Amino acid sequence: MNLALTRRKEKSQPGDWVLRGTSILFLVLIVIIPLVVIFQDGLREGFDSFWYQINLPIARSSINLTLWTSALMTVINAVMGLITAYVLVRFEFPGKRLVNAIIDLPLAIPTLVTGIMLVILYGPQQALGGFLIEKLNFRIVFAPTGIVLSLLFITFPFVVRTIQPVLEELDRSQERAAATLGASPWTIFRKIVLPALILPTLGGSLLSFSRAVGEFGAVVIVAGNIPLRTQTAAVYVFSQVESENRLGASAVSIVLVLISFVVLFVANAIQKYWGAHR
Amino acid sequence: MSIQLENISKYYGQQVVVNNVSLEIKDGEFFVLLGSSGSGKTTILNIIAGLVQPEKGKVLLHGRDVTDIPTQKRRVGFVFQNYALFQYMNVAQNIEFGLEVQKVPREARQAKRDELLELVGLVGLGGRMPSQLSGGQQQRVALARALAVEPEVLLFDEPLGALDAKIRMELRRSLKRIQQKSEVAAILVTHDQEEAFDLGDRIGVMNFGRLIEVGTPRELYENPKTEYVASFLGSANLLLGQIQGKKIRIGAEAFSIPETTLDLASNDRAQVLFRPEDVDLAQEGDQLAGLSLGKGKIIEKEFKGTYEHLRISLPAIQGVRAIAPTTPYGNPGFIVEVNRPPEQSAVLPLDVGNEAYVGVRRMHVLSHPGLNFLVVTDGTLRSQSALAMGGYMARMAHARLTLLGIGRDLSKIDDHLIEARKQIGSGMAALQVQASPEGFQTAIAQTVEKQHYDLLIFGWRPSAGYEQIEQALSRGEHHLLLATQPVGKLSKALICLASGEPGKDTVLFAGRLLRHMGAEASLLTVIPDHYPNDVPQNRINRFLTDGQQSLARFGVTGNTMIKHGELLPAVQEEMQNEDYDLVVLGAPLPERQGSVDLSAVIGPIISSVENCSFLIIRSQHYQRLNQRFGRER
Repeated sequence: MNLALTRRKEKSQPGDWVLRGTSILFLVLIVIIPLVVIFQDGLREGFDSFWYQINLPIARSSINLTLWTSALMTVINAVMGLITAYVLVRFEFPGKRLVNAIIDLPLAIPTLVTGIMLVILYGPQQALGGFLIEKLNFRIVFAPTGIVLSLLFITFPFVVRTIQPVLEELDRSQERAAATLGASPWTIFRKIVLPALILPTLGGSLLSFSRAVGEFGAVVIVAGNIPLRTQTAAVYVFSQVESENRLGASAVSIVLVLISFVVLFVANAIQKYWGAHR
Repeated sequence: MSIQLENISKYYGQQVVVNNVSLEIKDGEFFVLLGSSGSGKTTILNIIAGLVQPEKGKVLLHGRDVTDIPTQKRRVGFVFQNYALFQYMNVAQNIEFGLEVQKVPREARQAKRDELLELVGLVGLGGRMPSQLSGGQQQRVALARALAVEPEVLLFDEPLGALDAKIRMELRRSLKRIQQKSEVAAILVTHDQEEAFDLGDRIGVMNFGRLIEVGTPRELYENPKTEYVASFLGSANLLLGQIQGKKIRIGAEAFSIPETTLDLASNDRAQVLFRPEDVDLAQEGDQLAGLSLGKGKIIEKEFKGTYEHLRISLPAIQGVRAIAPTTPYGNPGFIVEVNRPPEQSAVLPLDVGNEAYVGVRRMHVLSHPGLNFLVVTDGTLRSQSALAMGGYMARMAHARLTLLGIGRDLSKIDDHLIEARKQIGSGMAALQVQASPEGFQTAIAQTVEKQHYDLLIFGWRPSAGYEQIEQALSRGEHHLLLATQPVGKLSKALICLASGEPGKDTVLFAGRLLRHMGAEASLLTVIPDHYPNDVPQNRINRFLTDGQQSLARFGVTGNTMIKHGELLPAVQEEMQNEDYDLVVLGAPLPERQGSVDLSAVIGPIISSVENCSFLIIRSQHYQRLNQRFGRER
């Protein structure tokens, strides 16, 4: 009897249908149709042409550059984000609130502006940039390093902000217990604190990775648009649109969409696994 | 000794959370720290474990001073209320963690782990994750984990607090068994009195950071020394009687005091404790077994399963005041709590509204009289200082507190007293409220004649002049606290001892008061320039050292200072050097009419020194003179 009661669904009102229909329609119009269109456009001349387009040396190099710069940035971001979050939660220092507020700043600054800031700082005509090129032969602007730097700037908040709340809610008594059992602070961090932070770190890193893969504004300014050297996938797509190679643009776009899909899927799986094992 | 604490104090900002606690725990002993939340008991545990650093005092474990040694090297086993199991490790890994850290070889580790799993009754659950265990099982794992490293002492922070009643009982028994088996000294912190009685070889009762009393469960229940412990452990009936020779009087009757409490002087007031189960009820007065309290009326009756609980309202007895349970406002008599086993209820069935004679089979006199404060308030801004300071000090010293509202318009004063009561808040030993339409002097005289007070507190500003102070000193035996600051706070006191005045009592009462606040003291003596150089210096030095030692006996740390010249500039100079919140002064001796003249010494000081309150202490010599003058009057 009880089972039957709980299983019975609430009767839908006509208003509910309108609400549901509206939201689904909106999703289809805004997200799904454009996605379908890009796939349809990229594959309209068959899979072979698609494959040909993405295997053009310029296209391949742009996809590779995108992947490795984003990956390098993600690793740096994971480590530094973890350290930053730990310092922000566990230590007291003057100006902590200010630092905490500044972390969100990259989210608010247009990425184009980010690119310009880095060019002004590291450009070969500038003091610092000139010094690095002349004395150390270390080029930042119009080089992959610039791409990594601008991606780091843009995605900095992602890892910090996913770890911070977890660390704040972490029960300190586990660490205290470990201390009474003779564990050194480093052992406590490694064995007690870190396991709790691995998943949020991974989640935040993947988020920053997927954000980095599609970055255009900052990269086009800092790295320029040099095919085979500093042209990332997003910039390549833009240049193909400019030169009216719509098939090439769509094909590489599909690759970008697929990368984002995979990353989102993995991130979701991690979140789910994490939620189940808390 | 397994654990020794020497004069441990811990402050969080201005607030003292552990106040000068000293404690010794023998090898293999199970010691329970009992207190309400916020009493500082968990902080003590954390201090022993090294998780919290004390501001003052030393921690010794097996004779080794570990005060400055990190937690990791103290060899303490700590069991937390929320279990604190490592959530990303399974049960076996949890238990082995401490051994792994110490680099114990795998086989030895596993052997120890299996032994412990058996000890705590969790064989076969080594592979489970903590989240797959019940609360009771988790706490068993936590215990095994703490025992794995073979600690020198075991610390339990409310380990059973989060469990339901049945599991709690079960785990309590195995806790005791395992501790006895391991022969390691243990301290358990709890607010559960039953748990404390059940587990503790000895119990220490804590309140507001102070360790109030230590003893076996039986000692503390049957023969408590303090009112706090008497009323904290079980329910208590407490009356205030008067000592006469070797007997104590309760109204018309008197009974002998047990030998142990004979250090009470004749004519002192003493608190008498009897437990609800010590009360005898009878139809007729002559059927009572012990001392009779008269005929009372049953106002409440509760069935408690194994016994019956009654509340009986009794008419007032001349010269006797009830401390606990508190009597409702306006009730002139007092109330007695009674527990009766079913056999007695069967012989003499009683219902609400019935009357019966009330007797007491067994009584216990508290040897510690406790402090009694009177705060005078008239609703003005100045009185706020008195309420703030009086409330703070009474709470810290666990003193009984009476609020005396003075004003022509009694209804207005009543409103003010209700507000004042709210402001003072809960956590008082006892709080009474009185109102008087009389003037300041008469109202105080009437109040202190009815009852003895140790300290009279009222708000004072230099603009008010000395008249009220002189009036307040004209009667009674109380000392005086002039509250001038709007906040209750006392962390450093300057005790001024003018040479040639009987300062001993000043130091003693100041010490008795200051120790409750965890405050420090400086003893200052000023030698006038016209004194011959060599003779008094020695004597004054000795006097100051004696004073310092007396303070130390109360656990109050103090330094001494000798200055030359006039008293007032010397005090002012010292006030600039240090941040004192209280200046302690001896009251000048009364003149033949019993009046006091403040203008010579105290007056100039209290009207020119700012940002602190003043404690004016009357010496015994003063009180003797006052009594003599009183008689001559």
